[in-house]
Amino acid sequence: MTADTGERVLTQESALELLAFLVTAARTQTEEAAEYGPMRLLMGARLLAERMVDEVGDDDVLGGLVSEVAALEPVRTPTRDREAYLAALDALCERVADTLLAQAGRA
Amino acid sequence: MSQVGANPVYDAIRSRRVTRRMSSEPVDPELLDLVLEAARWAPNAGNRRLQPVRLVTDPDTLRVLKAVSPGMVPSPPAVIAICLDTRRAEEFGFQPGHRGLYVDIGTTAATLLLAAHSVGLGACPVTSFSRAAAARVLGLPDGTSPELLVCLGHPTDVQPATFSALTS
Repeated sequence: MTADTGERVLTQESALELLAFLVTAARTQTEEAAEYGPMRLLMGARLLAERMVDEVGDDDVLGGLVSEVAALEPVRTPTRDREAYLAALDALCERVADTLLAQAGRA
Repeated sequence: MSQVGANPVYDAIRSRRVTRRMSSEPVDPELLDLVLEAARWAPNAGNRRLQPVRLVTDPDTLRVLKAVSPGMVPSPPAVIAICLDTRRAEEFGFQPGHRGLYVDIGTTAATLLLAAHSVGLGACPVTSFSRAAAARVLGLPDGTSPELLVCLGHPTDVQPATFSALTS
């Protein structure tokens, strides 16, 4: 649900798609290279963000975060340039926090 | 190395790339037949042929297959599932999980990838999927396990970055 309108951002179909991704990714994670872990989680976040993009209205803070997550490349992993990867992920986490604070009226 | 420039096989090996973004344009069935036929010519230990392949082009099936395949980055118009016939493997005396059976999955995949490239199709191998769910989606008989999915389609002009950092 969006903060402003309280409307659904997921249809039953897209919610099921996300559910399927999360459940099957849990299984594949038991056998995949560990470096794929954060990539799969971000792919799940991207799936959700893709569904949110058109529903954020004129909330610039939320819209910026959602657009950024929806545009994440689905093949990035932390192995080749770990420092840059972690720095980018930390920056994204900070924007998540900023967005949550703004939603709570504490920006 | 002096023959490299005049060697189309070597050129194909060198120029093939994984295609992670494909258009929704359907693939000519004749091209798919050519790629499938290539699987029959893949190197295979003892010529036992324990790796059946299954072609999927039905859009609804493809959508569900993608949903249970976290590693499937493209939304392909066609997929070839390379499977393992574990029952026949047991009849030959293979122990479950024998490495050789999976080597032949690899040789089949490599041959399919090159065949796709040779007819101008993009291809993307996927190993990250739920075998249990994919077997249901594909309607495979008991004892036949999907082991590798090869997405096939027409490459888009822009491809995702290769595996590297979170941001480019």
